[in-house]
Amino acid sequence: MEINRQRSPFIQQNYYEVLEVLPDALPLEIRRAYRRAVSLYEENAIASYSFFSEEDRKEILACIEKAYLTLINPETRESYDCRLTELGILGQRSVDRNRAQEPVAIYDFQKTHGSGPAPARRIDELKSLVEQSLLIQNILTQDVLSGADLQKIRTCLMVTLEEISHQTNIRTDILRALEDEKMDMLPPTVYLKGFLKAYSRCLALDEQAVTIAYLKRIGKSDSSSPKLG
Amino acid sequence: MQNLKPLIWTIGGGKGGTGKSFFTGSLGFLLAARGCKTLLVDLDLGAANLHTIVGLPYPDKSIADFIHKRVANLEETIVSTPYPNLSLISGAMNNLDMPNLAHEQKLKLQRSLTRLPFEYILLDLGAGTAYNTIDFFLIADVGIFVTTPEPTAIENIYRLIRSVYFRKIHQVLKTYDFKTLTGEAERENPLATISNPDLLLPIIARLDPAKGAILEEALGTFEFKLALNQLRKQDSQNIGMLICKIVGKHLGLKMHPIGNIGFDDRVHYAVCKMRPFLELYPYAQTALDLQECCRFLLSANDSPPVLRKIMERR
Repeated sequence: MEINRQRSPFIQQNYYEVLEVLPDALPLEIRRAYRRAVSLYEENAIASYSFFSEEDRKEILACIEKAYLTLINPETRESYDCRLTELGILGQRSVDRNRAQEPVAIYDFQKTHGSGPAPARRIDELKSLVEQSLLIQNILTQDVLSGADLQKIRTCLMVTLEEISHQTNIRTDILRALEDEKMDMLPPTVYLKGFLKAYSRCLALDEQAVTIAYLKRIGKSDSSSPKLG
Repeated sequence: MQNLKPLIWTIGGGKGGTGKSFFTGSLGFLLAARGCKTLLVDLDLGAANLHTIVGLPYPDKSIADFIHKRVANLEETIVSTPYPNLSLISGAMNNLDMPNLAHEQKLKLQRSLTRLPFEYILLDLGAGTAYNTIDFFLIADVGIFVTTPEPTAIENIYRLIRSVYFRKIHQVLKTYDFKTLTGEAERENPLATISNPDLLLPIIARLDPAKGAILEEALGTFEFKLALNQLRKQDSQNIGMLICKIVGKHLGLKMHPIGNIGFDDRVHYAVCKMRPFLELYPYAQTALDLQECCRFLLSANDSPPVLRKIMERR
């Protein structure tokens, strides 16, 4: 075992530990962590006052500086990651990092959804998916559609409730209630019909047929409403 | 009286004037107001003044009576305060050599303290890092450090934390006869002494995993709280958090901030009036801060006294 003669274990840490960021941290996060670390260890920092000797402090600051400069530059970071992976510290994390460099959910504000040309293309995609899928076609031949059936279709098309919610402005808990057939959560039939139509539109299904089949299932078929009036 | 082991909260802080006694008095007042039987003990033997904070300018008995064996046991030195559920052992005394307790006297005092019939015992320690001060942290269930956001106070708090921590390591090492082991560790790395626990502990764990585990367990249960007192509006609000972070990262010691207590000029007024601040200004921001600290400390305890009572009855 290698004899350790370094003064502080701090500088034995890898650069991610020094800056207290995850191995898949974005440059933005690294820059923030760097500023935070410097403000904690710099000469006039009140919180670390007198904790370190002058020598230790300089050592730590130099270490932070080096960590930042290595990680903020994509090339040096790549080779540093390789070295850590070789040492078995990082595992296969470097793959994760590439994924993280794509736009992540944090920028995915709700307002960017539901408009623009993207959904239209998506509808065409969904349409062909619906036609191709045997499972969906089987379900759609049924006379009565349950909430579970709707959910099956939706998961088969890989559309999330959140997506539908963004497009239709219907709350996700209502959509979930629709699929779970939680009657007390559902709105009056008039509104429910609208919701069902919006829901099936999102999945590129036949609005009319789905609505009627679902209403039949929960015992509020179309024919019954005029009687009430 | 139920035979319960009291919870001991030790309140210290390296520097004088940071509000240790004020904080102790206020915590005691809050605990008593919650209906917990609470005892305040003034262990600032050289400069006792906790009695003044709780409105007892001339306590007729003090801890000196116990140390000088003028009374048979510690219970006889307890005086009641004007507030229900709140009692006090005063540290007021006029003897010259009192701050320097002999080792046996200290052990006897510690033993007696843990047997007193109270739910909470709050120990108010003096400034400085004398063994008499730091050894009371070692018997504490909760060790609370009070500091102000000033370099002088922070410097002293670090010194105190280090002293307590090293004393604890020293104590554990002595109990389990680690002498040969520490010698070996020091040969391996001359810097791995007790004053560099972050270097010493890994080496011990490697040389002798069994003893390393004992040490780790003993130190793992060691946990400190940090209260930041007299925070002015212009002070940074997260200093407490940062101090705890440094202590955790560079000493390997668990420390939690329990809250910031705002600066209030009326504290001075309350002390001059010799009445608890919390009684005079129960709705001041500082009072609310103190309540928040107290609530945090109570919630952090794994089993609050009420629960322990129930468990004991079973």
